Amino acid sequence: MELRELLIRKDPLFWPQLREQSGQASNFETLISLCTLRKRAEAAGLAPAEPQETLRIAFLGGCSLYPLNELARHMLSVEGYACEVFTGDFDNYVSEIMDEASALYRFAPQVVFLLPSPGRCKYQGRWTDARQVQQAQAVETASQLLDLCRRVYERTGAEVLLSNFILPGGFDPGAYRTRTLASDWSFRKMVNLELGLNAPPYVHLCDLEFLAYRRGATASEDARGWFETKQPCAPDLLADIAKEIAVLVRGFRKGHKKVLVLDLDNTLWGGVVGDDGLEGIEIGDTSPRGEAFKTFQRYILSLAGRGILLAVSSKNDHEKAIEPFDKHPEMVLRPQHFVSFKANWNPKSENIREMAAELNLGLDSFVFVDDNPAEIEIVRQFLPEVSTILLGPDPAAYTRELQDSRYFEPRSITAEDAGRTAQYRQEAERRTLLASATDMDAYLASLEMEATLREFNPIDAPRIAQLINKSNQFNLTTRRRTEAEVLELAGDPGAAAFTIRLRDRFGDHGLIAVIIAKIVPGKGGPVFEIDTWLMSCRVLKRQVEQETLNEIARLARLHSCAEIRGVYIPTAKNGMVRDLYPQMGFRPASGSETHTEYLLDTGAYEAVPTQIRITGRSYESRSSHFASTASF
Amino acid sequence: MNQDQVISRLQRVFDNIFLEPVQLTPQLSAQDVEEWDSLTQISLMVAVEKEFNVRFRVGEVEATKNVGEFADLIVRRVNGN
Repeated sequence: MELRELLIRKDPLFWPQLREQSGQASNFETLISLCTLRKRAEAAGLAPAEPQETLRIAFLGGCSLYPLNELARHMLSVEGYACEVFTGDFDNYVSEIMDEASALYRFAPQVVFLLPSPGRCKYQGRWTDARQVQQAQAVETASQLLDLCRRVYERTGAEVLLSNFILPGGFDPGAYRTRTLASDWSFRKMVNLELGLNAPPYVHLCDLEFLAYRRGATASEDARGWFETKQPCAPDLLADIAKEIAVLVRGFRKGHKKVLVLDLDNTLWGGVVGDDGLEGIEIGDTSPRGEAFKTFQRYILSLAGRGILLAVSSKNDHEKAIEPFDKHPEMVLRPQHFVSFKANWNPKSENIREMAAELNLGLDSFVFVDDNPAEIEIVRQFLPEVSTILLGPDPAAYTRELQDSRYFEPRSITAEDAGRTAQYRQEAERRTLLASATDMDAYLASLEMEATLREFNPIDAPRIAQLINKSNQFNLTTRRRTEAEVLELAGDPGAAAFTIRLRDRFGDHGLIAVIIAKIVPGKGGPVFEIDTWLMSCRVLKRQVEQETLNEIARLARLHSCAEIRGVYIPTAKNGMVRDLYPQMGFRPASGSETHTEYLLDTGAYEAVPTQIRITGRSYESRSSHFASTASF
Repeated sequence: MNQDQVISRLQRVFDNIFLEPVQLTPQLSAQDVEEWDSLTQISLMVAVEKEFNVRFRVGEVEATKNVGEFADLIVRRVNGN
């Protein structure tokens, strides 16, 4: 086994290989043996190249959580999380959660995984009870579980991974199972639906019902394992759960990918358009292969509909490559669906690097798809940050291959997502205008920008959380927050938190900036401390920064803060805002390598006029309240 | 298949799972091997069932005291009784 060789030679390639093989592992034995190799590498002092992020994770449940916790720790470890693990006692989760003095709370978890006992998800009444009675009990069962999650969250602030229930694989009671909620089959289904539909933002469903369905109900059960060592399911399903835990954690910690870069020939259609011509390529319902490619295109278009940006990188002449998109009646994808279209003879790695610069996105937001292993290899070698998918030999499987890569799983879908492609295309038009305008002020004026500022509120919370967790470049402190924490800030009187929406004559950018300030005590009275200031890079150099500071100063006055404190915490990605505060007139106050503070006197700051028309300000009701108090 | 033959096949299974080489003998038991913890035990059972294409019944592996008895159990299951 090659991994063993790499381990013996203490080769740093061990970790990327281990990560890849762990991702591909589809059964318990493989994952366990990889887990053993990882432990051995750690013991031998062979450390991963990238720094690990620590994660305190607790496993609770109505079963033995061992070896599930080992497998999950392994999957998290290869994702870059060094785990500290708390493992609850067998079937003790209710008291562990209810007892404020329990070891769980002393552990102070950041993530809690809860696998409730199916024994507690059973209809307690009679088969003949009225449907409303049975339904009420299912609703109650789900709400009790969500209540446990809420308690954990309120006491620890931890994100909760809640498993739902595996449906029984036995025939009993026959087809009648679907006609009543009293059967385990229907009751658990109903509870699972209730859990999913009512889960608050800090609860992440670990969908065991789905995972077991995918593997097969009878293959997922393990009665012997339960009797012998209180295992919740068959070993292979344990491996699936462990992998799911890692995907969920990655999802809320890092967010998903943003750009899908596609090859053309034998990826979006069959054949080579340069050789076979527009008429010769296989696409459309006239042949089975053509239909497979068309279905793949439909799936790709559906990704665009939930906010994934599409791009093309193809070794072709541009005119030949674009022709099917313009002219072929069976194509689903059209030129307007792409934010970047690069058909040329440059290495694909270079094309992708250019796209990243043009779209102002990090390379780690890109996924590259090709049927040619050589192209995949080039991108892997030159741009290791880019994720790649090598398509298999059968176009019928393409859609599944993309889905199973798990790169594009949203935590939530916001209204902004649907219009993202249009936004990036509009940006291209603006650049064209900029290229023709000689005077920056005239250019900005010609954009006819309008901004709406607004305090945090529940409607914006999903988008705010999304930005907080995805923005890396224009982000002064890179402090991540969950949707639930955003909601808390909305009602916090000791904080001022607002967002900015921007539109111009080319279109609506949506919600593009997030600012969180805290009113903290200082020597000369309260200080307005800018805890978070981030902005989407697509509105850089549009004077939004200036309007942001105007609003910050206005709110600082409202809160009677004589000083505004800006904080800069450097990361690998936020170099572009290193000097933002000094450029905006702040003076350095204190600083170290990892944390710099700047100050600005509120009284001395005068709002700087910009080309942006402000159509609404944050905390307007509170402002008028302040104003009316002042007039008395 | 007899106990010796089963043990020599078991040796291969063990070699794939244990990091430090373990020399199997009929008298060897989990207490004699530091690495043979409950995680290793679960992996071993999954691997052994696959290798010999057998399914142990509830509780019977736990009842075996050493490698020899475990091999005898495999012989019985392979022979279908």
